[in-house]
Amino acid sequence: MLLWRPSRAMMVGLLALSAMLTAEPLRADAETLLRTRLNADIRSTDPGTNRDANTDGVMAHIVEGLVAFRDDTSIGPMLADSWTVSNDGRTYTFHLRQGVKFHNGAAMTADDVIWSLKRWLDPATQWRCLSEFSVTGIARIQTIEAPDPQTVAITLDRPTALFLSTLARPDCGQTAIIHRDSVGPDGKWIAPVGTGPFKLGEWKRGQYVDLVRFDGYAARSEPRTGYTGAKIAQVDRIRFNVVPDSSAAKAGLLSGSLDAISNLAIPDVEDLKARPDVRLNITPALGLTGILFQTRDPLLKDVRIRRAIALSLDTPQIIDAVMEGIARPNNSALPIGSPFYGEVEAHGYTQNVAEAKKLLAQAGYHGQPIKMIANKRYSYVFDSAVLVQAMAQAVGINIEIEVLDWAAQLDRYNRGDYQSMAFVYSPRLDPSLSFEMLMGPKATQPRKVWDDPEAQRMLQESMMIDDKAKRQQLFDELHRRFIDDVPMIVLFNGAEIAGLRNNVKGFAGWLFGQPRYWGVSVQ
Amino acid sequence: MLSYLARRLAMTIPTLLLVAVAVFTLVRLIPGDPVQVMLGDSADAAQAAQLRAQLGLDQPVPLQFLYWLGKLATGDLGHSITNNLPVLPLILERFQVSAVIVLVAVGIAACIAVVAGLIAAWKQNSALDLAIVGGATLLLSIPSFWLGLLLLLLFGLKLKWLPVIGYVPFSENVWQAAMFMVLPIVTLTAVEIGVLTRMARASSIEVLRLEYVTHARAKGVPEWLVLGRHVLPNAFAPTWTLIGLLLGHLLGGIAVIETVFTLPGLGRLLVDSIFARDYPVVQGCLLFTAMIYVVVNLIVDLCYPLFDPRVAVA
Repeated sequence: MLLWRPSRAMMVGLLALSAMLTAEPLRADAETLLRTRLNADIRSTDPGTNRDANTDGVMAHIVEGLVAFRDDTSIGPMLADSWTVSNDGRTYTFHLRQGVKFHNGAAMTADDVIWSLKRWLDPATQWRCLSEFSVTGIARIQTIEAPDPQTVAITLDRPTALFLSTLARPDCGQTAIIHRDSVGPDGKWIAPVGTGPFKLGEWKRGQYVDLVRFDGYAARSEPRTGYTGAKIAQVDRIRFNVVPDSSAAKAGLLSGSLDAISNLAIPDVEDLKARPDVRLNITPALGLTGILFQTRDPLLKDVRIRRAIALSLDTPQIIDAVMEGIARPNNSALPIGSPFYGEVEAHGYTQNVAEAKKLLAQAGYHGQPIKMIANKRYSYVFDSAVLVQAMAQAVGINIEIEVLDWAAQLDRYNRGDYQSMAFVYSPRLDPSLSFEMLMGPKATQPRKVWDDPEAQRMLQESMMIDDKAKRQQLFDELHRRFIDDVPMIVLFNGAEIAGLRNNVKGFAGWLFGQPRYWGVSVQ
Repeated sequence: MLSYLARRLAMTIPTLLLVAVAVFTLVRLIPGDPVQVMLGDSADAAQAAQLRAQLGLDQPVPLQFLYWLGKLATGDLGHSITNNLPVLPLILERFQVSAVIVLVAVGIAACIAVVAGLIAAWKQNSALDLAIVGGATLLLSIPSFWLGLLLLLLFGLKLKWLPVIGYVPFSENVWQAAMFMVLPIVTLTAVEIGVLTRMARASSIEVLRLEYVTHARAKGVPEWLVLGRHVLPNAFAPTWTLIGLLLGHLLGGIAVIETVFTLPGLGRLLVDSIFARDYPVVQGCLLFTAMIYVVVNLIVDLCYPLFDPRVAVA
């Protein structure tokens, strides 16, 4: 017999309580949300200052510069509609795009551009790229003027082919044009008031960064390309969740807690390919993985030994094993996606065991150990080192792998304190910079792997001229010398792998690798 | 009691000072440079020198230590090199997350383990004892990250009962926060049950062999009363000591579990800071952990007379 029966009011109350506890919060409108992943939290919201790759990637949705990289790494207009360069190559006159608004509703004018550029050039800002515009950099900025509210003229102390590409560099925060409300009266950074398709919403440190659609965004008319073109927000909000563990991120994608994840690990590719509710977006990337040699080392200063190691390698097999067929072999310092990558650059090393053994015999090599530093932060770097070790062993080269954490390896790299190391370079968007990251005098820059004064002269020339054909000639010659001298063996450029749930539409990867979520919708 | 407390607290000062010296020295002995990590592979010497000067890392190490110690004396642990946030609030914020998981997990684990250990001891060498010991050993042997991932797969992916990614503080939404905490707590509880059950069983076996237990049984005291009144309180003291050690150890961070379940806890903060060579945060975390260890052990010592009246705090 039922002795106690709840009253109707109590039943209603219990049901309401149950609904409150279990139901999703009611939404005032049907907000569209894209949930994605960062493998580490961003460093700050001040672009180009306290930053890393994650910071650059998030900030690219919020701020924009005068110019930006296109998909093919050429430079296109962004906040500037067009520009002219004076005959002496020193003065760049930018004509600003009409109707551009900041996130606070203010219209962008030449005054804002000058304020932003002067702020970047102020040492107190601690802009990462300040040294590029110093005496030792690409050129010094002498004057910044505004002939009218829609025009800005920048005069350099010398001509350089790298001016626009440096302005557009993601690690320079794209030399963003921001509103002065971004800083307080004391000049201290508050939050970015930019012109991008998304505004900064909420940043919960260690948890997530929320970006909110900017309704007043003035999009360009050209199709989306690189960091320019039509950058139209298709979702109301993007949430970048901080998920350090890649297995947890993958579980999040499969469970539907995440809609898109970038930087997927290679071993996850095969598994995710078989999942019906998820698809992959694989794009060639500009990063460079290879084996660095210390050419001052008593043993490795002999180019015959370095060449023997290069000839011992079956590079396509390494890439097949390490990258599971999603990257192509490349022995050039220029990435495959570069507009300057041609037939000459495609010519690299071909495995030749007999020749390798002959060179070793000529060099008098008798199995002396060669230490190779590697790290496990990037699994494909470690895997490459293991395969290089095995293939070199087949011709009698004794490589011993020493595994360090990334910070320790970076320290050894910067000091040039190694015999050899498996290393990965971050993307460089200009071909001159692809060579520049490797080249330089070791006496003053111990991190540089290739110290060849004649090649250095050619590199400097490539930085001064704008003529594409002449630059191509210089890069071709640099490539030939690079292959002959073997200061390092470039193996491949890798790939950017993004995992997307099927309801995510419009995502497109690009050479730079950083995901772009404008033009992306969740259906 | 109060003088004992004051004496113990006074003893923590030299302990923490020694820890401070050790931590500061050891952190700087790790190869690697925070400036290089921040600037990456494209840093030139001028950029690195500029940043090093801004962060005060260009000063001699003894001077850096004295500067840090001076600020430490005022309760200021400095600012993070990575994101310029003050270290102490950062640690306290992250500690809350770790503390909830650890306290709940160890609490549940202790309740289960003590009862299981007592039963296993009571039924020593029986099939039940074998099952409990076998289960405890199994739980002890399972790596927490593996168990965590399995639970994620089962309850997050297959059954979709619990969220997989994210974290919601209790201050925002109690129900959602609890949902995010279930799997980490279950994982940690499972691992700690193994440790505690073995200890509870061993100490219970010793007590069960004592004469006063035999005497109680001879008097005809019911078995449940013998176990509950005579065995359990006496057998619990060693387990309580172990709980103290575990709490001290775990409150310093459960990095693996926090990483698997994407929780912004103290352990993950420490690990991330070590990889970034964020010296002030690493120093702060380790000092804080040492302090937690000292405080937890002090609390355990103060509670000891409650379980074993033979021990007096004096």
